[in-house]
Amino acid sequence: MDIDLSTTTVRTANATLRALPPGATARLTNPAGRHNLAVGLTEEITVEIDGTAGYYVGGLSKNATVLVHGTTGWGAGENLMSGLIRVDGDASQSLAASAHGGTIVVRGDASLRAGISLKGATVLVAGNVGDHCGFMAQAGTILVGGDAGRGLGDSLYEAVIYVAGRIKDLGADARVEELAESDVELVARLAKQHGFDHIDPENVTRVASARQLYHWGTP
Amino acid sequence: MCGITALQLRDPGLRPRLGALMAAMMAQVAERGPDSAGITIYPEIAVLKGVGHPAVLATEWRLHEISGTQAVAHTRMATESAITAAHCHPFVVGDGLSLVHNGSFANHATIRRELLARGVAFDSDNDSEVAARFLAYRLDSGDDLEKALRLLCERFDGFYTLAVQTPDAFAVVRDVIACKPAIIAETPGWVAMASEYRALAVLPGIEAARVYEPEPEEVYLWTST
Amino acid sequence: MSFDEIRERARLGRYPIRGGGARRAVPTFDDLTFLTASASRYPLEGYREHCATRTVLGAANARDPVVLEIPITIAGMSFGALSAPAKEALGRAASEVGTATTTGDGGMTPEERMSSKTLVYQCLPSRYGFNPDDLRAADAIEVVLGQGAKPGGGGMLMGQKLGPRVAAMRTLPEGIDQRSACRHPDWTGPDDLRIKIEELREATDWRVPVFVKIGATRVYHDVRLAATAGADVVVVDGMQGGTGATQDVFIEHTGIPTLAAVRLAADALADFPDVALIVSGGIRSGADVAKALALGADAVSIGMAALVALGCNDTVHDFGPASYADLGTTAGNCVACHTGGCPVGIATQSPGLQARLDPVRGAERVANYLRAITMETTMLARACGKADVHHLEPEDLVALTVEAAAMARVPLAGTEWIPGR
Ligand SMILES: Cc1cc2nc3c(=O)[nH]c(=O)nc-3n(C[C@H](O)[C@H](O)[C@H](O)COP(=O)(O)O)c2cc1C
Ligand code: SF4
Repeated sequence: MDIDLSTTTVRTANATLRALPPGATARLTNPAGRHNLAVGLTEEITVEIDGTAGYYVGGLSKNATVLVHGTTGWGAGENLMSGLIRVDGDASQSLAASAHGGTIVVRGDASLRAGISLKGATVLVAGNVGDHCGFMAQAGTILVGGDAGRGLGDSLYEAVIYVAGRIKDLGADARVEELAESDVELVARLAKQHGFDHIDPENVTRVASARQLYHWGTP
Repeated sequence: MCGITALQLRDPGLRPRLGALMAAMMAQVAERGPDSAGITIYPEIAVLKGVGHPAVLATEWRLHEISGTQAVAHTRMATESAITAAHCHPFVVGDGLSLVHNGSFANHATIRRELLARGVAFDSDNDSEVAARFLAYRLDSGDDLEKALRLLCERFDGFYTLAVQTPDAFAVVRDVIACKPAIIAETPGWVAMASEYRALAVLPGIEAARVYEPEPEEVYLWTST
Repeated sequence: MSFDEIRERARLGRYPIRGGGARRAVPTFDDLTFLTASASRYPLEGYREHCATRTVLGAANARDPVVLEIPITIAGMSFGALSAPAKEALGRAASEVGTATTTGDGGMTPEERMSSKTLVYQCLPSRYGFNPDDLRAADAIEVVLGQGAKPGGGGMLMGQKLGPRVAAMRTLPEGIDQRSACRHPDWTGPDDLRIKIEELREATDWRVPVFVKIGATRVYHDVRLAATAGADVVVVDGMQGGTGATQDVFIEHTGIPTLAAVRLAADALADFPDVALIVSGGIRSGADVAKALALGADAVSIGMAALVALGCNDTVHDFGPASYADLGTTAGNCVACHTGGCPVGIATQSPGLQARLDPVRGAERVANYLRAITMETTMLARACGKADVHHLEPEDLVALTVEAAAMARVPLAGTEWIPGR
């Protein structure tokens, strides 16, 4: 099914997507940066977006596969519960904010605060990430194929970040840890799965919480 | 709080369409600032401001008939100061410097007092005007635009995405935390900046443009041709 | 600051944290009085002549607006700050009298959803436990920008209260001292909030209203911006507003009193006839409710008062160990919600302490209290000649102090004088 966004409102388009049965496929054409595309999906459907999506594409969804053949605005895949969001271009700020589950893949770069408040999802960025990637991330995995900006992993909880390239600097309470065999296996599996051939799993940096801020108030 | 759009034309063939392109861009960020709008168009430094919906204003101004080399515009959702034409961006000061701002400064009252003490006069109580006056003051003191913007980053606290144009340059800068959106696109024919991609999507040749987000506290500057 | 407070900081090396609201004296609704009817106006009879209390919120945008039988809702208090039986009791009480409860910084529990007929689901900066299934199960969404106790600050939950269930709901390690974010992770500012609100509406098929809650600081501007961003209801929480745990310095030194906030918020909404106003922070009596409505609120929310009705600071039980004394306080003065050692089973996650709270009997006390203050509210409205509590207006009030007259912008009693006018 094709939905032309130059003639259909986002509200109608989303209502149409939510009514599709499991297994269905839909294509959104002429997105032109419109916001809130394919949000709140619940079924195992596939949505392809032909172009650039605005804020929150695929947000608050589960089970679905959303493929963006372009770039995205803020909060792509925010609060995702399960399923897959894949962005062929770059992703703007707050990629995968607070996402609980599923996988968010970006084939280009991601801007500031990718994986902020992450709650269990897997976030993969083939290129570089901006400042404060993994800010306050609570659980889940972030794999960065390129370089990371300033304040990486600031105020991390139990999420783990792997960076293949350089790290500008670490945020508060983040530290570099030794790679275990299980880390290499995980990174190798994720890289293979999503075609991130440029990542050498033995040569990534593991960043996790130093856990120095876990008990700051209890007497 | 608002929507920003700015465009600098490199291809002289596009000049007759400057106003039309700006009108199309502004319409895409009208929801970010439905109260009022304003625009500066170069090289004449024509300043148009008004209260109302940006799309209605653009028609009123016959914006699509206006040609030029570069322009910077703003659609406004008033935060703390009144909804009047005087409070509309761009703030045009000094030797034709126009500034638009998305965000909100946290220490502008003090900087306003410092500038007042140095004899700088203000037209409004708007926080963004303080940034414009600060830049004009620095340019007057001999700094170039890039240096003046760096000093602004040092002196101003709070959140900002700024687009600035002078008769010979166009610049973009945002604060270190970069909580307000900004996106830049460049082609051989033009360079543009907007709060949201959808404003850039209306530009000719956007499919082939280099599209990127400005890094925090980095000054992006393009000189006019 | 007292010498004791200096010593406390010298001992701790950090700011003291506590629960409750501001304890300093600020102008309150008590500083106002009603000009009830006699000769120039006529009162309504107590029982036979009807005085409506029904309140409808969010009818302009939502297919299913929130319908309240009384203009008093239970404010957001998290499962985590409160025990499961406390949340259940509040839900039961609200359902019994026909009003709403609100989740909090930690998500929705099934018990809460079951016990509360009308449940408002908070979307906070932390997004702890926030998910689309619970979102769709909610009767309204409340995007929280801030609270009166700590406008500009994030939530806290100390390690003693991060038990296994609370920690799992929040995706946090058990027993850590939680520090929540103060800004939302995926938007900042009203222009982007507008897009966020639209997303929440899309994910819920435009079925339920969207509230935006703010701590009272720059009230006029903030309320206008919340309305411009698309809120159906703006919730304004004044500086006296309670909290489960916050830095003492925040509780006492930020924001403006609820009394001053109501009028500013009502002014801000003058251009937004479809947007409703809920006011909270220090609401205790029917007089407070009636005065808040008169100054422009459509409804009020209560936190601490509901907890007190539930048994907070009660002396009626003989607890033996784990008592007020163990928290270094006494019944009537307790604000130790942050410790998790609540002697009455309300603000605790300890199974032993929770057992002290019977949700059914607790709910009965809270329902009684809600009925009582609703009666007080209608009583005052009737005495002012109103057949609907929402017909109360600022002109029904005068002030007893110059401060209250200035803040509420009603004349000083016996004069025509409103300071600053
Ligand atoms: C124990 C407790 C926990 C609270 N938790 C939250 C919360 O999670 N989210 C929130 O927006 N407000 C929270 N609040 C603030 C209340 O929602 C409300 O604004 C405040 O209690 C109103 O003031 P009052 O207590 O004087 O009635 C909490 C308050 C208390 C007492
Ligand atoms: S009695 Fe319990 S709920 Fe009341 S203030 Fe003390 S700890 Fe908090």
